Amino acid sequence: MTEPSAARAWAVIGLFERPEDLLRAAARLRGSPLGRVQAYTPYPVHHLDEALGLRRSPLGGMVFVMGVLGALTAFAFQYWMSAVDYPIVTGGKSPRSWQAFVPITFEVMVLFATLTAGLGMLFLLNRLPDIFHPMLASRAMEKITRDRFALALESSGGQGVDVDAAKKVILELGAQEVEVLPLPAPAPAAPLNFLLGLGGALVAACVLAGYSTYWVIKLYPELPPMSHMERQPRLNAQSPSGFFKDGRGMRPAPVGSVARGHRPYLIKTPEEAARLVNPLPRTTETMEKGRVLYAVYCRVCHGFLGDGRTTLTSAYGAKPADLRIKRLALAPDGTIYHAIMVGKNAMPSYAYELKEDERWAVIHYLRALQRAQDARESDIP
Amino acid sequence: MAEALLPEGLREPALTDGAITLGELDDRVLSVPETRPPAKWFAAFALTSAISAVGLACIAYTLYTGIGAWGNNSPVFWAFDIINFVFWVGIGHAGTLISAILFLFRKRWRNSIARYAEAMTIFAVICAAIFPLIHVGRPWLAFWLFPYPNQRALWPNFRSPLLWDVFAVNTYFIVSLLFWFLGMVPDIASMRDRAKDPRLKFAYTALSVGWRGSAEHWQHYEKAYLLLAGLATGLVLSVHSVVSFDFAVSVVPGWHMTIFPPYFVTGAIFAGFAMVMMVLIVVRETMDLKHLITMYHLEVMNKVILGTSCLMGYAYMMEGFTAWYSQNQFIHHAFKQYLWGAYGWAGWTVLVCNVLIPQLFWSSRLRRSYPSMIFVAAAVTIGMWFERFVIIVMSLQQDYLPSSWRLYQPTLIDFGILLGSFGIFFSLVLLFARVLPVIATTEVKAILPGYQPAHGGDHDRA
Repeated sequence: MTEPSAARAWAVIGLFERPEDLLRAAARLRGSPLGRVQAYTPYPVHHLDEALGLRRSPLGGMVFVMGVLGALTAFAFQYWMSAVDYPIVTGGKSPRSWQAFVPITFEVMVLFATLTAGLGMLFLLNRLPDIFHPMLASRAMEKITRDRFALALESSGGQGVDVDAAKKVILELGAQEVEVLPLPAPAPAAPLNFLLGLGGALVAACVLAGYSTYWVIKLYPELPPMSHMERQPRLNAQSPSGFFKDGRGMRPAPVGSVARGHRPYLIKTPEEAARLVNPLPRTTETMEKGRVLYAVYCRVCHGFLGDGRTTLTSAYGAKPADLRIKRLALAPDGTIYHAIMVGKNAMPSYAYELKEDERWAVIHYLRALQRAQDARESDIP
Repeated sequence: MAEALLPEGLREPALTDGAITLGELDDRVLSVPETRPPAKWFAAFALTSAISAVGLACIAYTLYTGIGAWGNNSPVFWAFDIINFVFWVGIGHAGTLISAILFLFRKRWRNSIARYAEAMTIFAVICAAIFPLIHVGRPWLAFWLFPYPNQRALWPNFRSPLLWDVFAVNTYFIVSLLFWFLGMVPDIASMRDRAKDPRLKFAYTALSVGWRGSAEHWQHYEKAYLLLAGLATGLVLSVHSVVSFDFAVSVVPGWHMTIFPPYFVTGAIFAGFAMVMMVLIVVRETMDLKHLITMYHLEVMNKVILGTSCLMGYAYMMEGFTAWYSQNQFIHHAFKQYLWGAYGWAGWTVLVCNVLIPQLFWSSRLRRSYPSMIFVAAAVTIGMWFERFVIIVMSLQQDYLPSSWRLYQPTLIDFGILLGSFGIFFSLVLLFARVLPVIATTEVKAILPGYQPAHGGDHDRA
């Protein structure tokens, strides 16, 4: 049992100048009843673990287990995602072709294993971070991390070390200096204040970050580069575009190019055109097609009935032709076709708006209009 | 010790010039962050920051206007963005090689340069990560690359080498950062115990997570370091192999080759050593570290550069041989393009810079002279950048469909971002040099002559 009168300390530390001295002293102090024997060195000294009788580091086993676990995790996840949950055939391979999963399996294995080796060593085996350890408050620490080798008898179980006995033993082993580290105060106040401060700062930072994020998103829902391509240059009808210098949104066809299905129109006069024959059969489909196209392109000027009377007439100086008149009703299809192709009086050419068969369909419909407006008694059945 | 059995000429020479004690080492290395940097440092930092600012401005312009700001065109969808990515990832690999692979081989000369090389790995990977991020066009959506449950009910394509790359590079960055930080923990503990200002002391205490250097700490630490070195070795070989898969797994003539993984890894180490070399020369001269980074260190690194240069020459020859032996007209065409196409001069630059110029290092006099070291290292850096240019741009420029062939021309923005990445890299290197211990003091302490108890178990344990 310990004597209550004897001076107690948290640790008694002896400093040595040479690593050999430390090794010798450590081997002799090993198993001392005075307290836990601990050595401190500025760098790893070979054979010190043997001299102190430390057991082998279990880190290798930990790393192996976690490495295997990492590999299994990565492989299982990849297999489940690519072969079970959402199977995709890539490059003609089966979704279950596991070979493609090898690289990521390897990388994740290394990741798990290294994190275990590094953080497991620091946090689990060495029980760090411990920035308020009593040893760090010692004067000896400054020398240990520089160039001294220390052997300490440390309190185990909170009883403290018998100062006089420990000092005597350590000096006998050849220590140049001895430091006595008093028992620390039972409840260190500094860590608590520090932790409270740290926690408060974290909470404050979270609140601040939360509020600023809320307001930024509210005020600027889509910042310019992150607008998901919602705003982009586009072509608006009837207005110049900034795409090209000439203000057009599309490029004109290159000189000499011929569109597919296009046939050059070489006829110069209506007389010459008169010999053209409407190639389309007079069917319901053709009539319907002609009706729609007439409504789109012709009706605005020539009117619903082809009588040339529309609202446009009053606003527009020129008077569109009344298509019902006898001269036009008797004119051959080719003459009307020519008017569509090259225009007539104020009417521009509709060669670009209507394709060849569309022109002929419009003419069929026009014939029907003319006939409908020239009804005779004999038409009544 | 096996070293003692070797004949005199083959033994490793002393790794420091003259005797140095543990305390002197700390005073020399750890005092750097405690003092105010000289005016020259500020001038250099201002310059590199200005260059970074140019790069960042070009990146901002790209993000605002879109990738049309670059020279990439229809067949050449990958250009400076991917070239710079491969270039910088490669630079990073030298650091891991020095810190991990040479550690496994028990090459003790690595100890004094490992810290710097590891830091360069981190910075190079940061520079590399910029490029795929801006290459995706809308980097704020880059998280789509990760497999997280989402309302679209889609998963990323795990059969794509590009996704393998995401995992490889992210793992590489995390592992390198961890390796670098763990190596620094005992050094930061030393800085903590030197610090006078209580606020600084507290910061260092927190950063060193309260490291005490007890025998148990060291025992687990050494085990962890060995395991990390082993894992990082496998990782570094896999990372550049995966980068090469981005090309080799495709069917583009000139990319679809089985030699790509080892060829890329060798090239990475080659380029990385050249970059480490250039930085080390500057550090050695300006930070008074000639006793710790000796001419022997530089010479050994030059030998590595020479060796990898020869391997690169072999890889180029094998590429050519494969092209010829394939009897495939498309691959024949691609290889003629490399040397006699529109950018044929780039192909010749690669051969001269990567294979011919490093042959200077057969002479031991040139291996030990600064001008030749800087000349070769600069040539290798340029050559390795152009190697990626040749592989990426020239292969894409003319592929299977002649009607879509199109010449590639970079824009000023492309060059601005490339320049900016160098600015960012060197700014970080300069900051590191003044803020953290540039030499792993605990590792060097452990190999200083006379500071380990005699080996062989014959010492007195009684």
